Amino acid sequence: MFHRILIANRGEIAVRIIRACRELGIETVAVYSDADARAMHVRLADRAERIGPAAAQESYLSASAIIDAARRSGAQAVHPGYGFLAENAGFAAACGDASLVFVGPPPDAIARLGSKTAARRLVAERAVPVVPGEVPADQSDEAIAASVAHVGLPALIKPSAGGGGIGMRTVLGSESAIDQVRAARRDALAAFGDGTLYVEHLVERPRHVEIQIIGDRHGRLVHLGERECSLQRRHQKVIEESPSVAVNEALRADMGEAAVTAAQAAGYQNAGTVEFLLEQTAHGPRFYFLEMNTRLQVEHPVTEAVYGVDLVHAQLRVAAGEPLDWHSGRTPRGHAIEARIYAEDPAQGFLPQAGPLRLYREPRGPGIRVDSGFEEGDAIAVHYDPLIAKLIVQAEDRERAILRLRAALASFPILGVRTNVPYLLAVVEDDSFARGEIDTTWLDRQTAALVESLAAEQPSPAARAAASHALERAQRVPHATRTADPWTTLGAWRLGS
Amino acid sequence: MKADVAAIGPGVWRVTIDGKATTVWTAVDDAGMWVHADGRVHYLANEADVRRSRTRSGSHDLSAPMPATVRAVLVEVGAQVHAGDTVVTLEAMKMELALRAPSDGTITAVHCQVGELVQAGVPLVEIA
Repeated sequence: MFHRILIANRGEIAVRIIRACRELGIETVAVYSDADARAMHVRLADRAERIGPAAAQESYLSASAIIDAARRSGAQAVHPGYGFLAENAGFAAACGDASLVFVGPPPDAIARLGSKTAARRLVAERAVPVVPGEVPADQSDEAIAASVAHVGLPALIKPSAGGGGIGMRTVLGSESAIDQVRAARRDALAAFGDGTLYVEHLVERPRHVEIQIIGDRHGRLVHLGERECSLQRRHQKVIEESPSVAVNEALRADMGEAAVTAAQAAGYQNAGTVEFLLEQTAHGPRFYFLEMNTRLQVEHPVTEAVYGVDLVHAQLRVAAGEPLDWHSGRTPRGHAIEARIYAEDPAQGFLPQAGPLRLYREPRGPGIRVDSGFEEGDAIAVHYDPLIAKLIVQAEDRERAILRLRAALASFPILGVRTNVPYLLAVVEDDSFARGEIDTTWLDRQTAALVESLAAEQPSPAARAAASHALERAQRVPHATRTADPWTTLGAWRLGS
Repeated sequence: MKADVAAIGPGVWRVTIDGKATTVWTAVDDAGMWVHADGRVHYLANEADVRRSRTRSGSHDLSAPMPATVRAVLVEVGAQVHAGDTVVTLEAMKMELALRAPSDGTITAVHCQVGELVQAGVPLVEIA
C-alpha cells in the first residue's frame, strides 16, 4: 500500500478521500489554490501544497502544477477525485511518466471511453444494447420513412450534421413519417446546409440508471448494482438512490453483466460507472448504454450504503496492485438516497451563490451521512462548483429512507448563503417522488411549480418569534464579541516551521 | 397565540406555540437575519436596514446582482459621474461584470474595496 498520496481536488471529495487515507494509514497531501488556502481539505490533510491562483485553469486544472506538487511532497500516487482532471487521459499518462500511480483507470481506457460515439461503437460490438439508430445509405424520403419503421416507434429524425436539438422531428405513428421526414429535411438544409438525416429510436420518459463497476489489475471486474439518478434539473443530478424502484434482481443481473462487458471492452480497471437509459415498454423494461464515467462518481455513497463497502478504500487497494475479493450479483441491503446541497438560489433561476456559512449545522442520527468540504465559518468561493454537501440517508426500505431524508433536511440549517435545501424538501415531499414515478424529465416539469410555491411561503410564526428574540439579542451584544473561536480564526500554522 | 422562546445554543432556539415545539436556527449578518425553521429558510431585513433605506430615498445605490468579488473600484467619494460610467467592476462565476452609473451625479459613499467578496443586493456605491 502507498505511504503518501496527493489528492488533486478540493471540497467534499478531497475531504472524503483524506478520511479514507487516514483509516488506511496513508499520509495525505492536499493541493490548494489561493482561494482555498484555509479550506477544510487543507486543514485536514497531513501536508498541503499551493498549486496556483484561484482560477481553476491555473490551479486544479493545471496538470503540471499538480505533478510538481506531487514530486515536491514525495507522494507515490495521485487520487483525482471527480471533475477537474479526473477524466483527463493526458493527466493520467503524465502521472505515469512521473512515476506516480494514477488512482483510476489506465490512460488508454479513459481515452477509449472519452468520445461518446466511439464508446457506443466499442460496446455495441460486444452486444451491449445502445439506442437503436441508423444513417440510411439511401437518403430518399421513402428510405428514411422505412428506416423509421425499422428502428421502431416512437422515433426521432435528426439532421446528421446537427446538434442541440435543432431540426429534430418526432414520429409517434407511421402515418406521419413521410411528412416528418420532409419537414426534417427542410430544417436540416436550412440550418446546416446538409439534408442528411439520422433516425433514432425515441426513448420516452426514460429513467437514468447507472451501474457501479470496479476492476483490479488481475482481471477481476465486478459490478455493485445500480443507482437511479432520474431526478435531474437541466441534466444535473439532484437526488440519487439505490436500489432503483424500476430494477428487480433479474434486470440488475442483466444490466450488471452489460456494464461489466462494456468495461472489459475498454480494458477498464479501478472504479467506474456505466450509464444507461431505462424505458418501460409493452414488452418489459429495455435498457441502452449511454456512456461510461471513468472516475468515482459524486453519488458513490448510496452504493457504499446498500452494499456495505468503501469505494475509495477499494480504489486505493486496486491502484496499489492488490486483488479485489468482491463478486458480482450481491443483493443490496435496505435503501439509500443522496441529496446534493448547493449554494444556489432557486428563486433566481438557481443562480450560484457565494458567501460565508454563518451558521452550518449538520444533521445527526442513525443512517445519516454528510459528506461536506465546509464547516461553520467557512466561505463558499465564487470560483468553483457551488456544492456544499451531500446528505446521504439509509434505512430499511425506500419509504423509511424518504422519511429520514425529509427529517434530516429539515434539521440541516445552512445560513448566510441561499441554498437549495427548501427546494430539495419540496421535491422529497412530492407524492410522485414518494411513489417512485419519476423519469429524467420529471424534475424539469415540476421545478417551476415547486419554486413558485416556495416563494409564496411566509416565515412561520415560530420562525418570526425566534427571529425577533435573535434580533433583540444581536442588538444587545457588541459586534466585536461575535467572532469565531481563535483556533479556527488563526489559520494555517505549523510547529517548528 | 403565545410563543415561548428559549435559547438552547448559539443561534438555536426552541419555540413553543400552542404546546407544539419547533427548533429554529438564526444567523445575523450586516443587513439582516437568516432564519431556518423546519427546512424553510427566510431572510428578514433588520430594523437598521429599514432605517438606512429610508434616508436613501431620492438617490441611487448600486449593488451586485449576485455574490461576486470586487475587481476594481473606479470612483471615490465626491467624484462626478455621468450616466453609463463604469463605477465598479465585479467578477463572479468567471465572468466580469461592470456596474454603471444609472444617472449623472456625485458619489456620496463607497461601501466596498478591491478583493472583497460582496453579497447580492448589498449597496456598493451610492450616487446622489
